[in-house]
Amino acid sequence: MNLLTLTLCLPLVGAICIGLFPLKGREAYWAALTASILMLLCTLRIAWIFQDALPEGDSLFRLVEFYPWFPDLNLSYKVGIDGISLTLLILTSIVTVAAVGVSAHVEESPRTFFAGLLLISAGAFGAFISLDLMLLYIFHELALIPTFLLIGFWGSSTYRERVATKLTIYLTAGSLLLLIGLLAFYFLLPPNIRTFDMEALRLSLSAPNAPTGLILRSHELWVYPLILFGFGILISLFPFHTWAPQGYANAPTAVAMLHAGVLKKFGLYGIIRVSQVFLPFGAMSYWMDVLAVLLLCNIIYVGYVAMAEKDMNYMLGFSSVSHMGYIFLGIISHTLIGISGAIFLMFAHGLTASLGFAISGYVYRKTGTRDMTQLGGLAKSMPFMAVLFGMVAFASAGLPGFGNFAAEILIFFGAWDKHRVVTIIALWGVVISSVYMLRAFRNVFLGDLKPTQDPASVITMSYIERLPYLLLISVLVIIGFCPSLLLNLIKPGVEQWFVLIGK
Amino acid sequence: MSVIGLHHYLIVSALLFCIGLGGVMIRRNVLIIYMCLEIMLNAGSLALVAFSHFNGAINGQILVFFVITVAAAEVALGLAIIVAYYRLKQSTHVDDMTSMKF
Amino acid sequence: MNAAWLLLALPLFSFVVIALFTRRMGTLSSLISTLTSIILAVVAVLLFVDRIPAPDAAIKWIDFGMLTISIKLLVDPLSKLMLLVVTGVGCLIHIYSLGYMKEDASKGRYFACLSLFMFSMIGIVLAENFLMMFIFWELVGVSSFLLIGHWFERPAAADASKKAFITNKIGDFGFLVGILLAWTYFDTLSFPGMQQTLPNSIGESGTFIAMCLLLFCGTIGKSAMFPLHVWLPDAMEGPTPVSALIHAATMVAAGVYMLCRIWFLLEISPTSLSIIAWIGGGTALMAALIATQQNDIKRILAYSTLSQLGYMVMSVGLSAPGPAMYHLTTHAFFKALLFLGAGSVIYALHHEQNIWKMGGLFGKMKITAITFLIGTLALIGCPGLSGFFSKDEIILAASHHSGHLHALYYIALGTAFLTAFYMVRLFTVAFINPAASRKHDSHGDDIHESPAVMTMPLILLAIPSILVWVAGIPGYLKLGHAPEHHGNMVMILSTLMFAGGSLVGYFLYIGKKADPISIPLFQHKFYFDEFYGVLIKYVQQNVAMVFHFFDRFVLDGLFVTGSGLATNFMGRVLSWFQTGNVQTYVVWLALGILAIFWFMIQ
Repeated sequence: MNLLTLTLCLPLVGAICIGLFPLKGREAYWAALTASILMLLCTLRIAWIFQDALPEGDSLFRLVEFYPWFPDLNLSYKVGIDGISLTLLILTSIVTVAAVGVSAHVEESPRTFFAGLLLISAGAFGAFISLDLMLLYIFHELALIPTFLLIGFWGSSTYRERVATKLTIYLTAGSLLLLIGLLAFYFLLPPNIRTFDMEALRLSLSAPNAPTGLILRSHELWVYPLILFGFGILISLFPFHTWAPQGYANAPTAVAMLHAGVLKKFGLYGIIRVSQVFLPFGAMSYWMDVLAVLLLCNIIYVGYVAMAEKDMNYMLGFSSVSHMGYIFLGIISHTLIGISGAIFLMFAHGLTASLGFAISGYVYRKTGTRDMTQLGGLAKSMPFMAVLFGMVAFASAGLPGFGNFAAEILIFFGAWDKHRVVTIIALWGVVISSVYMLRAFRNVFLGDLKPTQDPASVITMSYIERLPYLLLISVLVIIGFCPSLLLNLIKPGVEQWFVLIGK
Repeated sequence: MSVIGLHHYLIVSALLFCIGLGGVMIRRNVLIIYMCLEIMLNAGSLALVAFSHFNGAINGQILVFFVITVAAAEVALGLAIIVAYYRLKQSTHVDDMTSMKF
Repeated sequence: MNAAWLLLALPLFSFVVIALFTRRMGTLSSLISTLTSIILAVVAVLLFVDRIPAPDAAIKWIDFGMLTISIKLLVDPLSKLMLLVVTGVGCLIHIYSLGYMKEDASKGRYFACLSLFMFSMIGIVLAENFLMMFIFWELVGVSSFLLIGHWFERPAAADASKKAFITNKIGDFGFLVGILLAWTYFDTLSFPGMQQTLPNSIGESGTFIAMCLLLFCGTIGKSAMFPLHVWLPDAMEGPTPVSALIHAATMVAAGVYMLCRIWFLLEISPTSLSIIAWIGGGTALMAALIATQQNDIKRILAYSTLSQLGYMVMSVGLSAPGPAMYHLTTHAFFKALLFLGAGSVIYALHHEQNIWKMGGLFGKMKITAITFLIGTLALIGCPGLSGFFSKDEIILAASHHSGHLHALYYIALGTAFLTAFYMVRLFTVAFINPAASRKHDSHGDDIHESPAVMTMPLILLAIPSILVWVAGIPGYLKLGHAPEHHGNMVMILSTLMFAGGSLVGYFLYIGKKADPISIPLFQHKFYFDEFYGVLIKYVQQNVAMVFHFFDRFVLDGLFVTGSGLATNFMGRVLSWFQTGNVQTYVVWLALGILAIFWFMIQ
């Protein structure tokens, strides 16, 4: 049992233990926090030994572990990582710790809540490390199901059950599309190379006498959109994004953090790992132009929708939908720079979105409202939150010093050669996002206190309370100042990815 | 008069079957529906005997014995259900027996 | 390690230390920051006299082969001059702030942001490549946001800082597209690299003009040119030393500095240069007209800054980048002087900013008044002071052009007249006219001169305002082509403008208690703010509302919730088959069997 599986088991076992043992009061919180911190430490250890754990043989992945599961179907438990997955694993662990950390206030059935949170985290973690297509799908579903329970019970409004139902059905429909796509791909493969194992597929793809592509080109043209939109619904690609703002707004803070921060990135990771690699013809065909148009709608259209929003959580939800457009732009650029930028932005945006939802959740708890027209002048009573939200606002607007800037610059430069017009329009999205984020910042934190609020007394936050927020912002600032820390992981991974698609 | 052939019997059997089916579809009293059901079964038996006689194989007539036995068992069961349901609803009108409606 | 790196490292270090550790201790923070600025000024001087060699090292921030963003310092005459201006004025303003912000509750935060600003501004000056400049360009924008919004509890300040940042961001959008376009022409984005690999064959194509104009967008945003000028007057909501440093001397000048940096690109495209010149000239004239009707001392100075920036930009457009930098340098000194003087007045009058409520200051605040007078004379081009020479060079450059650009010559002269007019108006009303009635301060005294820590910088700034023309800046810079030796016509005309404007201003306003002229168009700043407000409200907000409606009711309502409802509906329709009546089922059974038979027979 190697380190990867061990780290995967940590949240799983943690969830089971919290669910089974009769923990009282805050013990569930501390147990979950311990599990997530252990997970983070193990992930950091994985990152530490990553450089030395050289890939074996022909494999491009490191720390590979293999257990056959359904040999007849060539379905196995196979996990392994490379630079790209390692980055996202680190993101998952950090956001999990932060999400558990800010949930100290959950009082109703805390055991189920934390068990669910850890399951979501385990699902995401497993999805990033899996090297088997069906395993990817299974972990994805594992991450999805607990969100239904968590939003339905611990959500923050009266119609939370309806929203939970809607979100789960929508996302499951997406998974269904994905499943159909994956199965279609599997069955269209020639019988001698028919397997779910991504490594084996890759070897078949790069075998010297292999035909161009694993399946027929005409088939690729309809399998690719299935997988693309299957993942795309999870990523909130326009026009399948409407679940996101409602879902995040009504979800408990921790779930919103995990969902927007990590689960969305899983969809993008899936596209990079699966559809761009195994369906290269489909990827470069007219679907790329379709994707270009859709991502512009994500950036511009959803950006304007965000401007019209008065509820802070809704606005943050739309904002995270909008930022997915940039990552897509990086992906369709098909250059080393662009894709590295996309992965970097996945990491940076994961942190930004989580922090944004964490702050918004805190404000909601302390003031009872998320309506930005009712809030004002909170910088006097919550100076720490004001500073953090200001940083989130500026990071989303692409200010240097935070990771988002380096990522966006890489994406724009990467996409510039092939997609000029798209890049220019996408750049305007940066202005749009600065408008609504700064407007939110000014309305909520700066200016006068609104008459509906208590006169300002500084709400004290203990140092322990501040830690989850500090964790998120410090990582964001560190990679903003020294992007090479992360790029040294990402770049070799993406270079290998190019080897995979034979460029 | 021409020789009475197989087809005469089959036509009679078909007519009987249709009468039975029509009765099942149209009649409103549960017991009448049951009787029409019996008519359908007998029509089937008639066809079986006719085939057996004209083809010289005894299998059809053996099968008729099975059919009659099954019909008898089914009638016993069915009448018991109808009596129980009558005790509940005090009516034998088939439109009153719609508990399984959506 | 080259000492020049101190220029970047020290202010960053100061910012981090104050922000993280000493924010609550105001006095300590102010001393840290001020000391840093003094050391920066010393290093800048040493760099200027070549005591410190130009550094070669580069920090590779992002390395992707064809895209390499490195942090590298470019030390050439242009940057050395600008460094002197930035650190010199910056240092004096730090000292001034020690006095001005003494009673402010958030002093620590103020000085932290000042250090951050110094870091960002020096980064722009020393930037060796486009992307490094862009990074610090954005950082300067955020420093400006933090400093304008220093008193963020005031809604006006919060709004002003947001407006400044967003307006700047629009300019930065154009700037970044321009940088991307430049990347298509060159393999490298470093300034010396681009200059060296500039192909001779590069012509003035549409893309090239677009690139130049888009790069100019950065200047439009940062230096508040028309149409993105609206943030600068509102930025006066910040503390006065901030207005002096950022919105007079340095940050707004960064746009002009950048234009001079990319002069080797701009000079290839006369079309872009004409557009740049017209935007500069237009801004200069428009701002001067607005300034003649403003009543807030800081607003008048703000519009004056806009006007002078217009001169500088126009000068670059007229193929005279040397005089542009020259005017930038002289302007930095006397504009900072004027702002600090205004600050001194505001401080003494307990934050009164309306000039019609001032008066009689000449007698009570001698040092402030005299230095203010020196600054005024320098600004309006009084012969013998620095402003005269620098402005003269620009007007001279304008006179050399023919065609439509020659109109700018007359615009420049007219603006000089107006400049003299409104500045003398300001000085007359605020300093010379008899005192308006005002309450006496707590000691029962009327106003008195500001403390030495504030008047010292005033005096120190007055000296270069008078004398800096001695330095021979355009020759030092060797930018562009030196114009042929001028005739005296220009000098006479500009002196005439100065004299005429001053006299008209003086005689029109001496002794008056209220403004005798009232021109609403100028008072309301050509209704630009209202226009943008309408634009934002009716265009942007409506677009957002329409999209929002579409998203909520069509995409979400019609399609998503609709498909849910449709599924429900289908379920309900299909359940009509379950009548509970056996006979219905029998009918369906019979029909089904008939259908099977039918298909079997087919």
